[in-house]
Amino acid sequence: MIELSELVKIYRVPVKSPGLWASVRSVFSREYTEVRAVDGISFTVEPGERVGFLGPNGAGKTTTLKMLTGLLHPTSGSCSVAGHRPRERAPEFLRDVTLVMGQKQQLLWDLPPTETFLLNRALFDLDRREWQDTVDELVELLDLAEVVNRPARNLSLGQRMRCELVAALLHRPRVLFLDEPTIGLDVKVQQQVRRFVRTYNERHGATVLLTSHDMDDVAALVDRIILIDKGRVRFDGGLRDFSERYGAGRRITVRGGLSVLGPLGFTAAEAGTCSATVPADEVNPLLQAVLARLPSADVSVNDPPLEDVLARAFGEQT
Amino acid sequence: MVRRGPGRAAQVAGGLLAASLATALQYRSDFWMEMLTGLSRSLLAFGPVWLVFSHRETVLGWSADDTVLVLGLYLLVHALLAGFVEPNLGAVVESIRAGTLDFVLLKPADAQLLVSVRRLAVGRLIDVPLALGVIAWALAQRELPSGSDVLVALVLLVSGLVAMYSLWLLAICTSFWFVRVDNLRFLLWSMVDAGRWPLPVFTPWVRWFLTVAVPIGVVTTFPALALRGEWDARLLGLGIAVGIAFAVGSRWAWRRSLAAYTSASS
Repeated sequence: MIELSELVKIYRVPVKSPGLWASVRSVFSREYTEVRAVDGISFTVEPGERVGFLGPNGAGKTTTLKMLTGLLHPTSGSCSVAGHRPRERAPEFLRDVTLVMGQKQQLLWDLPPTETFLLNRALFDLDRREWQDTVDELVELLDLAEVVNRPARNLSLGQRMRCELVAALLHRPRVLFLDEPTIGLDVKVQQQVRRFVRTYNERHGATVLLTSHDMDDVAALVDRIILIDKGRVRFDGGLRDFSERYGAGRRITVRGGLSVLGPLGFTAAEAGTCSATVPADEVNPLLQAVLARLPSADVSVNDPPLEDVLARAFGEQT
Repeated sequence: MVRRGPGRAAQVAGGLLAASLATALQYRSDFWMEMLTGLSRSLLAFGPVWLVFSHRETVLGWSADDTVLVLGLYLLVHALLAGFVEPNLGAVVESIRAGTLDFVLLKPADAQLLVSVRRLAVGRLIDVPLALGVIAWALAQRELPSGSDVLVALVLLVSGLVAMYSLWLLAICTSFWFVRVDNLRFLLWSMVDAGRWPLPVFTPWVRWFLTVAVPIGVVTTFPALALRGEWDARLLGLGIAVGIAFAVGSRWAWRRSLAAYTSASS
């Protein structure tokens, strides 16, 4: 469904030394530097897959998404989405994809979201009945019946974002590019958005490529992670493989007992617990040591939180 | 399957115009303010013509009535530029800066069409009937033009309008590289103002400049000449050629600009 082969995007960015004289000089002669935002990325995503496309700020995630949606032209390499070359912006291609950007909006600011839905019906050339069915389905799934007739400028951020999702999915795209879709939303709306994306994926078999800095999004939505940094793919595999590779072992959590377990390497964790993360082959000896000191301890062993895994993965890359 | 062709373009334009009209009507005070400033501006435009012709009967063969005919055509073009072309193409500059042009490019319709019919300054379009009234009054002062004269005038008017729209699009295309092109647009508006006078009152090189570089003369003086019955194949051919050249050139520049679009960072 999505194929990238040695995709490269180089930006030409002006550079200027500090100071007034440098500013005056830059008016007449400007120096440029080349920034390789995407530096030879290759991967394939199968139909119906939900993939997390992760990386630190400036890693090249959004640039890649914009090349995959035809907004930016690659400097070299190739990509295809749903059998189309995105840069050609064929109407059939644009009917097959959507891009949801958490930080930008397409809703008509002064009008109710229903007006944007109507406009998109004309722009996507949708059959009136199918369009109405889709609106009804999405509005119900996202619990928006009360708000779609109020001007967008009077809606809360969470309501607007949910309406953005409706506007972005009215044409029932087969490929969803989601660029930080839950940024700035409260926990309840984040969960609602995640549930919705999952339902849409399962109901319509849509392919989802998600970028997010919120690891709850990743844990709830994706089965596979592609990690990029400095424009190159650093990891491509399942969520569990990712945790094992970068998680550096398992996390042992004990309720209370920090004063006793401190010498064993435990540190205070959330809600009155303490925890230690150790390599997998050290879990059993440490558990025995814990139980020797606290025979009735309430102990659990888990994978470390995804945030920690990702922070570690980013740390190794940079 | 997405349809193509004129029917599809009409569907897209219809949807966009309905939304832009609904947006424009949200702000009643803006509507009245735009209408009042537009009307005042149009009425003030008669001042210099009155001043000149209160001292003499004709200027280089152009009577007061003929000059008012040119002025009426100028008001018509000005209203269409201010009510339709400038709000739309001006918004492209902001869209490029904010990165929201992304949403335009994600729609399965021609991007040039999408950016050209998104907005309306309805208050400014009120000047259109005023301009038509001025043209009708000026024509009524002399022998009415023949059918062929009217037809040629209409062809020249449309060709000139296409050229002016294309000129604005060319100016906007530069914003893909420079981002801020306000000064260029101010310069264009000040040159458009020259269109209120018949071309013959200018020196030859200014006449050429106002025909082929900023073709405001094609859309004001050329149709006025046709309505006076003073047109020939050369004038008609030149007017059409200018319209086609600008349309083709701006279309090429628009496509080049989209390829250079870098979008804004998230």
